[in-house]
Amino acid sequence: MFEGLNFDAVTLPDQAEALRDEVRAFLADAMPVDCVADSNFNEGHDPEFSRALGARGWIGMTWPKRVGGAERSFFERYVVTEELLAAGAPVCAHWIGDRQSGPLLLRYGTEAQQQRFLPALTRGECFFSIGMSEPDAGSDLASVRARAKPVAGGWRLSGTKLWTTDAHRNHYMIALVRTEPTSENRHAGLSQLIIDLKDADVAVRPIRNMAGGEDFNEVVFNDCFIADDMLVGQPGNGWEQVTSELGYERSGPERFLSAFRVYVELVRVHGPEPDAPAAQLIGRLASHLMTLRQMSISVAGMLQAGKNPGVEAALVKELGNNFEKQLPELARLCVAQLADDHPFRQSFIRTLLHSPSFTLRGGTREILRGVIARGLGLR
Amino acid sequence: MDTLNLILDSAERIFADHCNKETLDASEAGTFATALWQVLADNGLTLLGLSESGTTAADAYRVLRLAATHALPVPLGECVLARQLLEGAGSVEGLDGVGTLGRAAAGQGMARDVPWARDCDWILIAPLEDRSDGDSQTLTLLTAQECTVQHGINLAGEARDVVVFEAGAGRTVQCSTSPTEILEQLALLRVVQMAGCLARTLELSIEYAQDRVQFGRPISKFQAIQHQLAVLAGEVAAATRAADGALERLGDPRFQVQLAVAKARVGEAAGVAAEIAHQVHGAMGFTHEHQLHHYTRRLWAWRDEFGNEAHWQRQLGRRLAAVGADQVWDFITRH
Repeated sequence: MFEGLNFDAVTLPDQAEALRDEVRAFLADAMPVDCVADSNFNEGHDPEFSRALGARGWIGMTWPKRVGGAERSFFERYVVTEELLAAGAPVCAHWIGDRQSGPLLLRYGTEAQQQRFLPALTRGECFFSIGMSEPDAGSDLASVRARAKPVAGGWRLSGTKLWTTDAHRNHYMIALVRTEPTSENRHAGLSQLIIDLKDADVAVRPIRNMAGGEDFNEVVFNDCFIADDMLVGQPGNGWEQVTSELGYERSGPERFLSAFRVYVELVRVHGPEPDAPAAQLIGRLASHLMTLRQMSISVAGMLQAGKNPGVEAALVKELGNNFEKQLPELARLCVAQLADDHPFRQSFIRTLLHSPSFTLRGGTREILRGVIARGLGLR
Repeated sequence: MDTLNLILDSAERIFADHCNKETLDASEAGTFATALWQVLADNGLTLLGLSESGTTAADAYRVLRLAATHALPVPLGECVLARQLLEGAGSVEGLDGVGTLGRAAAGQGMARDVPWARDCDWILIAPLEDRSDGDSQTLTLLTAQECTVQHGINLAGEARDVVVFEAGAGRTVQCSTSPTEILEQLALLRVVQMAGCLARTLELSIEYAQDRVQFGRPISKFQAIQHQLAVLAGEVAAATRAADGALERLGDPRFQVQLAVAKARVGEAAGVAAEIAHQVHGAMGFTHEHQLHHYTRRLWAWRDEFGNEAHWQRQLGRRLAAVGADQVWDFITRH
């Protein structure tokens, strides 16, 4: 078979399964009463809930103890994340720091950066955003124009980041910026900087999305000073650094569980003895979900083994995003007309209105298909 | 290298050396692949999963998946399952020649869709339905002389015959494997065969796209084709994982659920994959001369055999509905 298409058998270890019961018990108590269960990881920004998770040791749980981590396996992290999403818990505040910024700092950050940020991240007290897209750089990420010029003691940064989720309520952003002029190698001369989102020279403007929410933002850097110690890794190495984390970013359960609460309500509407078409749809969706779950757990196994499964992760995301978009579309046809305040409709409407973002965030469908095609040797 | 990999390695050489487009065409024209069968028997591949072979039932399925990457036009899977059933029933006396497995309703004396019955020396008939009294089941072992065979084929041109026999014909064997379990074994056989066929379909499509030049470059360089192949690869990867998931749970309480997942998911992938593979292959893949249709027609045929996607989706859906909305997640994580 081809490189990147093998999803080896992985069974979650007993330790991880034991943790599942703990997470469920925790959720039974800690789910905020006013929280609308939503499995979309971008919904539900609740610092208090994140701090409660941090107190349990469930943020940064694979990280070393010296930075506040719990030194647990990727399988244990997998179980915690999927349980939170399936329950529709508000995980947005700490999600990016836990999934991406933390692992990036662990891999490329200095000891001082790790000590400064990671313990606070694991306590659920420090939240990170990702600064990649710009007005003229979306899928073509290497065309970023935010420019940091070296000055005494650091950098002066000018430019604009776009679609930055929660920049208006998070503390820091790790931004990919150009630190050297563009050369023939478009991937050269990019660097990653940690930006304090509360800096007076950083202007954050929320952008209302079509679902009515204000989660993402435009972030403008007005000749903002960034101290030397806020550079992550090597100057000019930004491209390699951002692409090294794609296995983490693209393979997790948040790539196929976003519409899960709609599924729960679909099952509820039909009760214990569904008619044949409803039973068929409930089963069909489960056959996809259970397969995706096995694929995602298999990637967790590769991460645990220290591999960087970029193509496998792209496959999970491509299949998973299509599934989470299809789920509400198929479910609606299988439910009789209900008032919009019915729990099924509530969940359906929320999910449908956010669904365009599923195949955009974290790499568009088109970019992922390109990654897969490269894995097949076509590019 | 472990034993299974050694077997897979040598099986791959045997399949590649003894089954090609001519073998497949000849089989469809009515000539049984006798030479191929002889090589399979000589190399012990008809005894897979039996204790004397040193392989497990799961190993057998893995070899049968590999066989499907060459579309072997013989009832190897059915023969292997029949021998395993007989061994499980304590009836191990040597059976020679070509054998197959069919199913018949009690007292009816007729089994439909029996693979290659016309070319078989023996046919094992298993019961179609569970007995209401829960008693042990009766298998009937027929020789070619003890039945009449009416020829039929499936849409892939594989022999699917009707076997008619008289009450009391053949040798009866009591067996503790239920008809439902036998159906599950047969469904799993088609699941792994489809997984093998899907892998081959992807391989053929990639090779073709890299060889075929239009507008001055291989069509694999066009983004439209790359994306189609990426979708195909996703379906193959998902189907492979679903099939493996069922194999890994063989003999475990979670098996029934995972089999339903696999037959439903792999069957769905079969339709998508066949469609894309043909689109990528253009008119060439629509010809009889090209080998693609031997794989795509099998995908189309096998997804309908032993319960199509809808059948297994409903079965799975009813189980989930029965546990209730607030327990579906628990059900999913425990399987």
